[in-house]
Amino acid sequence: MSRILVTGMGVISSIGNSVAENRMSLVEGKSGISILDVFNSKYSGRLPVGEIKTATGSLREKLGANEPGVTRTTLLALHAFDEAISDSGLTNIQLSSIDTALVGASTVGGMCLTDELYHDANKDADGSEYLYSYDCGSVNMYLQQRYAMSGIVNTINTACSSSANAIMYGARLIKNCLAKRVIVGGTDSLAKFTINGFNALHILSDEVCIPFDRDRKGLNLGEGAAFLVLEREEDIVDKKIYAQISGYSNTNDSYHPSSLSENGDGPYLAMQAALRFAKLDVSQVSFINAHGTGTENNDEVESRAMLRLFEKPPAFSSTKSNIGHTLGASGAIEAVYSVLNLAHQELYPGLNFTNPIPSTGLIPVLAYKKMPLQHVMSNSFGFGGNCSSLIFSKA
Amino acid sequence: MFYIHQNTCISPQHTFLNVDIEELRESVDNKLAVIEPGYEGIPPGILRRMGKAVRIGVGAALPLVKQVDVDGIIIGTANGGMEDCIKFLNQIIQYGEGMLTPGNFVQSTPNAIAAQVGLLTANKGYNITHVHRGLAFENALLDAAMLLRENPAGQYLLGAVDEISAYNYNIDHLAGWFKKGNFSSRDLFLTESAGTLAGEGSAMFIVNNNAMTAEAFVQDANTLHTDNEQDVAARLQYFLEKNLANGDEIDLLLSGENGDSRFKKYFEMCESILAKNVQVARFKHMSGEYATASSMALWLGCRVLKEQQLPRHMIEIYTTKKAYKRILIYNNYKGNQHSFILLTKP
Amino acid sequence: METAALKEQLKKQIVEFLNLLSVKPEDIKDDEPLFGKGLGLDSIDSIELIVLLSREYGITIQDPKEGRKILVDINTMADYIEKNRTK
Repeated sequence: MSRILVTGMGVISSIGNSVAENRMSLVEGKSGISILDVFNSKYSGRLPVGEIKTATGSLREKLGANEPGVTRTTLLALHAFDEAISDSGLTNIQLSSIDTALVGASTVGGMCLTDELYHDANKDADGSEYLYSYDCGSVNMYLQQRYAMSGIVNTINTACSSSANAIMYGARLIKNCLAKRVIVGGTDSLAKFTINGFNALHILSDEVCIPFDRDRKGLNLGEGAAFLVLEREEDIVDKKIYAQISGYSNTNDSYHPSSLSENGDGPYLAMQAALRFAKLDVSQVSFINAHGTGTENNDEVESRAMLRLFEKPPAFSSTKSNIGHTLGASGAIEAVYSVLNLAHQELYPGLNFTNPIPSTGLIPVLAYKKMPLQHVMSNSFGFGGNCSSLIFSKA
Repeated sequence: MFYIHQNTCISPQHTFLNVDIEELRESVDNKLAVIEPGYEGIPPGILRRMGKAVRIGVGAALPLVKQVDVDGIIIGTANGGMEDCIKFLNQIIQYGEGMLTPGNFVQSTPNAIAAQVGLLTANKGYNITHVHRGLAFENALLDAAMLLRENPAGQYLLGAVDEISAYNYNIDHLAGWFKKGNFSSRDLFLTESAGTLAGEGSAMFIVNNNAMTAEAFVQDANTLHTDNEQDVAARLQYFLEKNLANGDEIDLLLSGENGDSRFKKYFEMCESILAKNVQVARFKHMSGEYATASSMALWLGCRVLKEQQLPRHMIEIYTTKKAYKRILIYNNYKGNQHSFILLTKP
Repeated sequence: METAALKEQLKKQIVEFLNLLSVKPEDIKDDEPLFGKGLGLDSIDSIELIVLLSREYGITIQDPKEGRKILVDINTMADYIEKNRTK
């Protein structure tokens, strides 16, 4: 079976509207975390979030997506999708071919429209334009229709590991000869629903998040989208290749609906299985893009799992200190960042860190540096104990 | 693709304990609601938090995963946990984003069903939830097929669930998906009008590569997005050519026709392509319409292959049959997401 | 409100709020631990009980960890409510 390679990427986040802009911000150690501003909420003007400072109306106009019922979550996806397919040079014929698949992810879907959903669900009025757009599947339904896609289309929701699982699923579709090329990724926009949900669990921080720091208080939510184009090596003619997707795995921590076990069995097993799949030894991992949300539970457990597996963990950091936790988009955005590590042979500084967690002593990468990188691991651990690990390798 | 072994179904009909599908339960208030079992297998401390979708999903899965070990759990649900989602939303509005209880939020994520099954059985394997609306179950099915190719000695739980939450119902009602006025499921196929009836249910299957003691073999599945019936016809032709050897025929078309006159054309198109002596049966007067209803069709298909008979109330076009060997399930959801599943006797 | 009556009310509220299906309010002993052994509540319940205290008694507890010190059993909860209630 030939290698599965990344031939195109697209991303939009609070640190940039394109892959190039995101990379520049990462290199410069820029943070996209600011005080909630774009929509009306009790938390506006108070809560630090990774907000994209472009109004939904502007996105709609810029993307030529003026059909009724298109949500912000879909617009962000469309933005990243367009960049990815253009970057990969996919033609319209290829896009609509039966052997091109689309596998995306979202946890919010159209629930970003909290007020409309409330009125429609309670049958308070005649029905908004969003009646068809609330579910997570609505995003990929829109993309499928816009580009007349006739291959497999799928949407995955496993909370925070959603788009990592989407990437894995897409790679497997190719491996199992159910598709020749797959566009994989995820999207999520800020929503009253998730802001209030995470706040109710007391895992939001009222300050900028500090992943892996002793004094971390919680996570900052963010929004964004990313897509990658995966193709079989034998089908690639005259295209740039970013990296290979060489390993992946999904496991279940099986401990509690909203927190990880002390030992971190889920994260440990996911990382171990991904390495085994990639036929790599722990010593061969050059860098880990960690899940690192900045919550007490995640960062300690993740650290323990890394120590269990690697004994001496490789360089690692969490890009959630730049853009916050983008939920359904996080796996895909962080995959793009991991591919950038490899493509440019560089590491980006983790932000806001001062003191390590006393029980682990682990310190993330704190300064930009160029260095030889062969294999980068990207981890995503979600609600329900859903743990996913992806490995990208130099092509 | 793979073999189906033990399976369960919680539905509006008698499909769970004391299975009897000859008797047809009718809709009430234009809804076909499930018959909920006692849930003895779920600890009360966990059951108390579960919304209906999670209850019936876990309730159908547990008897299977308590009997056998599985290497992973693959679930399809379009709106799993929607009721909890809206309950949390109502809290947000009612309390003006003040102090809110997190239980509804945690249970509202569609992957709560797969997560709970994993939790209750301490299963650390692959755990996934597919949510692509009317193809959520089919994508889960393809995922299981891939897993069994990648791990030939493996065994997985494959299933689907969706509920009629009051809120979901309201949204779909406003969008014109349901019949207006009082309507009985008995009359679902008797009138020419738009709309269908709301349904709900959960179906779970143990799947692996062993033919021994298997109830059915899933030979292939295919999915398509279109509102053009010619596209549907072309895809069906392709599917049949790919899967039927010379001379082989489909014995039974298990059709997802749902009483919505707007979508009759797709089913008529499919019927016209199949051989003249194919028998045609329908199931949505039993299940109602919901995004993952094709999972109940698969359960019914397994039953037909096992019992070699089906209730009169399901049959649309009767032809004499010596035996049921090959069943084609054709379903569409809201006239746009189409699927074919070919099920054969092992 | 008398302490005994408050404790009875509190037990009813806890059963209802946490949807404790298999527990009758009158079966909860005043000194039975709410968490771990005893009633067997978990971390999500502790957050929900903090919300209950806020909605029914006007008591705000910001930190769930602080909350666990108060939410030991019915006795400690009733005691804290009597001293701090604003409703």
